Amino acid sequence: MEETATREPTGSEAHAKRPYLIVFVALAVVTVIELFIYSFPLAHIEIISILMGTATIKGGLVVGYYMHLRYEPRWLAFIPLAGLALVAVLVAALTSTSVHP
Amino acid sequence: MIVAVGMAIGYVGIVTPSIPILLVGFVVFVGGTGGWVHDDMRRPSSPFYGVGTALESTFPRVSARKLGTWLLLVTEIMFFSAIIGASWTLRLRTTTPGADFQGPWASPNQILNVPLTGLNTFILICSSVTMVEAFAAAEKGDQRRLRLFLLATLILGIAFVSVQAYEYQKLYFQEGLTFKSAPYGVNPLYGATFYAQTGVHGTHVTAGVLALAYVTRKAFRGGFTKENHEAVELVGLYWHFVDVVWIFLFPIVYLLPA
Repeated sequence: MEETATREPTGSEAHAKRPYLIVFVALAVVTVIELFIYSFPLAHIEIISILMGTATIKGGLVVGYYMHLRYEPRWLAFIPLAGLALVAVLVAALTSTSVHP
Repeated sequence: MIVAVGMAIGYVGIVTPSIPILLVGFVVFVGGTGGWVHDDMRRPSSPFYGVGTALESTFPRVSARKLGTWLLLVTEIMFFSAIIGASWTLRLRTTTPGADFQGPWASPNQILNVPLTGLNTFILICSSVTMVEAFAAAEKGDQRRLRLFLLATLILGIAFVSVQAYEYQKLYFQEGLTFKSAPYGVNPLYGATFYAQTGVHGTHVTAGVLALAYVTRKAFRGGFTKENHEAVELVGLYWHFVDVVWIFLFPIVYLLPA
């Protein structure tokens, strides 16, 4: 197999300037916020919502920038999204049967 | 063939049940997989043509290996979701007054050391940025930075696993948090769910460290070029994935209130 065929489709290479350090700072800052939030006198559901929200932001930054999904062909994103859709079904099923948040 | 034999032996180990047979199956499986990957990575990757070249403007090609790695990661998403979901369900069912009640869940910092694990989280985040910088260096053909950042990622990965091992021995032998019991009147299922969730993640990190050791060794031997460095990218994808899992696992296991 020709090596050129391997390199040609990589969309990530077109982006020379990538904000890796900015993403790193954002991840570190949000982590520090998480470490303060859990001890705040908030309702359980509020703490859970905030922590899951911050985790989603951090996860999105890593997947988008560090895993380069932002720079890949758009159809590739449907692969992890399909997995996340199944996770959403699982979470909905578990939440519907929960008795305590 | 070797991978299939390893899986078959492992299956026999699970059904029997026999831990030695399971371990033999695991070793054969890992050896077969490692040999397969090592052999495959000697050749450049073939492109994946999607639904055909006629629709290439809509579905641009990606490397078959990259596509395979993303598919692997989706199976991992399901795996971790099952572990976390099962733990969460056990928590909900057994901490609510009723027939299944077994005691309250532990509050953050009551048993677990949140500051120590916060530090470990920071170590993992640092390893993600060094990993992506290694990939960026590989794309530019900068051998010195590639080796430097891969080595830094490897060291940070080893540090994460070491801190987790220290935490485990402290919790198990000093705090008394075992698979079947917990201190301070905490729900006895707390330990089982804690070790299950963090244990499978730690195992994945350990596998990532082994993969990192492989690519780092190869980088120091001049095995990557500006044109051919796909192994760095694929190991990076896996490494960032275990970081993402920890990003969710850390608040769920360590920070959520009782």
